[in-house]
Amino acid sequence: MTLLGRVVATELRPSTPHQFSFWTAPHAPLGIGSIVRVDGDERVVYGVVTEAFAYSDLARPLDAVIGADGDPGREDDAPTSRPEIRLWTAAVLRQLPEEPLQPVPFGGVAAASDADVRVALRMDAYMQPDKSTGLPIGVYAAGGLSAPVFLDADFLLGPEAAHLNITGVSGLATKTSAVTFMLSSIFQTFPAEKGSVAAVCFNVKGPDLCFLDQPAPLGDADLALWRRLGLEPAPFPDMTLYAPFKADGVNLNTLRSNAALADTVQPLVWGLREILDYAEVVLNRDDVDAKADALIDFLAERVVGRQFEALELRGAPFEVLSFADLEEFFRAIFDHLETSRGGEVWRTHHVATIRKIRNRLGNIATRSKGLVTDDGVANDLPWGAFRDRSLTVIDVAGVDPLAQDLVFARVISRLREHLERRDLGVDHVVVFVDELNKYAPADGPDTYVRKMLLDLSERGRYLGLVLFSAQQFRSQVIRRVTGNAGTTIYGRMDTDELALPAYSTLSPAVKAKLAALPKGELLLRHPHFTQPVFVRFPRPAALSGREGVERFPPSPDLPFAEAVVQRLRALTPGIIADQVRAVIDGRPEAEVRRALSATVRRRPDDPFAFFRAWVRRTIPSESPEPRRGIAPLASDDDDPFAPY
Amino acid sequence: MPASPFDGLRRDLAAAGANPATTPWGELTRAGPGRETGSADVLEPPLRHVCVGEPEAWNSDVAFLDGSQHVELVGHVGTDPLVAAVVRAAVRERSGRRLQVREELSRRVVVARPHVLDRLATTITGHDCIALDASVPPHPLHDLDRAHAAIDRARAALEVEVSRSYRTGRDNWLIADGTLAVSPEWATDRRMVGVVKSHGALPFEGTDLDTYLTIPAGHRSSVFVVSGGGRPPLHAWGLRLRAWEGHDLFHGLVRVEVAAGNADAGGADLLSRRLLAERSPLATGPRSDRLLYGIHDVDRYLRVRGAAT
Repeated sequence: MTLLGRVVATELRPSTPHQFSFWTAPHAPLGIGSIVRVDGDERVVYGVVTEAFAYSDLARPLDAVIGADGDPGREDDAPTSRPEIRLWTAAVLRQLPEEPLQPVPFGGVAAASDADVRVALRMDAYMQPDKSTGLPIGVYAAGGLSAPVFLDADFLLGPEAAHLNITGVSGLATKTSAVTFMLSSIFQTFPAEKGSVAAVCFNVKGPDLCFLDQPAPLGDADLALWRRLGLEPAPFPDMTLYAPFKADGVNLNTLRSNAALADTVQPLVWGLREILDYAEVVLNRDDVDAKADALIDFLAERVVGRQFEALELRGAPFEVLSFADLEEFFRAIFDHLETSRGGEVWRTHHVATIRKIRNRLGNIATRSKGLVTDDGVANDLPWGAFRDRSLTVIDVAGVDPLAQDLVFARVISRLREHLERRDLGVDHVVVFVDELNKYAPADGPDTYVRKMLLDLSERGRYLGLVLFSAQQFRSQVIRRVTGNAGTTIYGRMDTDELALPAYSTLSPAVKAKLAALPKGELLLRHPHFTQPVFVRFPRPAALSGREGVERFPPSPDLPFAEAVVQRLRALTPGIIADQVRAVIDGRPEAEVRRALSATVRRRPDDPFAFFRAWVRRTIPSESPEPRRGIAPLASDDDDPFAPY
Repeated sequence: MPASPFDGLRRDLAAAGANPATTPWGELTRAGPGRETGSADVLEPPLRHVCVGEPEAWNSDVAFLDGSQHVELVGHVGTDPLVAAVVRAAVRERSGRRLQVREELSRRVVVARPHVLDRLATTITGHDCIALDASVPPHPLHDLDRAHAAIDRARAALEVEVSRSYRTGRDNWLIADGTLAVSPEWATDRRMVGVVKSHGALPFEGTDLDTYLTIPAGHRSSVFVVSGGGRPPLHAWGLRLRAWEGHDLFHGLVRVEVAAGNADAGGADLLSRRLLAERSPLATGPRSDRLLYGIHDVDRYLRVRGAAT
């Protein structure tokens, strides 16, 4: 152990149980964030450097001017250089023994070793040889040391604490990379005895998360980091990307549309039933009232998906399976009310309420065309069949914000429901939501999504539902969400953001370092760490979004028939385009979409045969010619036996 | 600087050809008791101002020597005082612009009348004892002054001792804080320079004194001889490190002493240029106008060491 410095304490700058100062030679290999060890008075203290000072014996700046005769160039000519101090302030990470807690002794200061880092960060509590819940997050690097830092799985994925929140400016804070790497680490090292784990990531901008199953080239330094952390540098082998269709219903609304990757993209399509259960999402604050709730409940329980008789509306029962059916149903009600005398109420529901709900539901169907199908055939996440260590990416980057809200709300709610019933297929699910300041803003309306994220952050850990969230400005996110994150990560930060009172616990030097933090380095808070520490993590082994679109350029939108051919080719590469065209020629697009959706969803052994059969199953409706009846017999007034 | 009620008078003085000064009263160089002016022999007659040229760095490592004393009245036996002191001396050598300690000594000293020391013999073990002259009638205040003077001498002796240690095997220039007259050893050391900041005893009278006290910045006086006390004579000259105009007469004025024959005119100029180079970096503290940074560094080192014991 090489001695680097010595603790100093004065009346004005005393040592305390939580902070101390020490001096070193000017060239000591220390910096902000370095972990040091103090030995003295039968006590070992570990600290992390939070502030640094340098000064000379110069009493006043004017003395320097006088000493150099006013010529800055002569300062270096002085035969003696002034003595200079490097004075460091460190925050105590841990003291041994821990009781009685005392001020830091006046001991020698050395840089922490690998083993010291483990003890200083209390990782020894959960990194025991026979039972470890450590998940590698990165390395603490200083003075040539590269010590792995582990998070406690019990405090990252529950049940003791959970959730992870990451803050940093766009493009430089490597938020997405950090989360991607963290998910890799979890998938590779989460202890089997703790159960199974899967991840659901919402891709909310560009192609960020669209290529996580594709390997990225890594440099030697990154490979060394991966190895140092005991991890295999590999992309996610079990990834499925879900994306809604574009408005045409056949081209997927994602930047992962290259034909080479088409077979790994699943359409995300919901029908009326899926939407209606989360109708509250599409209602604004003013809409939410007992009357609207009552009508929605009525629709959900009595109308949608079943035969509903309303003889006052029409003789035949309604069978509402799609938005089109629902619109027909509403139309019938309005026709009824308009024709009945003084009728403003239908079955206790006022016409205004009915119109409002009809408009709101119609709105989602219009604005989210592609996500919402009108034909009643949905393609959803594999509820109940989530696989251990599987990654599900839901690409909602290109859809309407209202539809994004709907996707968040429904997916997270379903995850929670299944985890509560323990029938999801896995024991833990990590949900990654970027741009949290948009979905859970500190200021703004108390939307369904905001409430849902709040509920997730407050209750999720008991269920195994864990929120990994990211945002540019932590201060703009509701505090109850960020505050519930047991683990907090800061990437490069905006200086204006750092000036806010919420960051007052960070020293000016730590803030300065955060404002200029290089890519791949983060400041990490974790329940076991009494002070935040800087860690470096390797570049993810999966392609970033930008790299992904460069290697797999998105395919242009295809004409309807070509799109159908391509999607079938993803299932059967050898399919002949002309055969497909022949099958769909003259068929309504809705019908073809329905057949295609069923084929993709069921993945039969012979997709083309299945598709063709499905298309043909629907007999095109033909308007029967009007019955002509029997031609009247020729009238013969002369025949007295004639019937007419 | 805050406005003075005499600013107008200073302007009038300047207009009348006098040199206005702004040095606060407490910072003025004051003569100590019993000091006088003299009439030294001038080796470069007549006494005049000599421009020494631009500051010039030393061409080899150079060392600085200083001593310190921490004095306390620790008690009385009857009415006789017992004075204790820690005296220290150190040499710090400059190499590559950095000063590092090369030699260091300290002594714990007690001073009292002989009967006091006898009575406390078992109590003051570990201290060097200095007995005051018992033939002088006791007087509590005068005894304190004499004790202090004895401690001064003890410190000077320690400085000589530490310089002797440093000299062993070293031929560097050694710059001492104060006169070389304290020791015949120093007075004959041809690689030693004494820089005297105090001017209680002035070498000249009359117009020569005027000349001596008005040396411009970057100039020296003619070399003169300092002798007396039965020690070897020294060669000395006044050197103005900083302009005194606007301050008191002694601002920036030091007396440089070397062994006799160690400084002809060229040698005095060279040493002066080297000492001028030592003005930077500026030392802070009392008499910083004539304090060399190297001396200041040794003094501070000794003070810090003293505080640590």
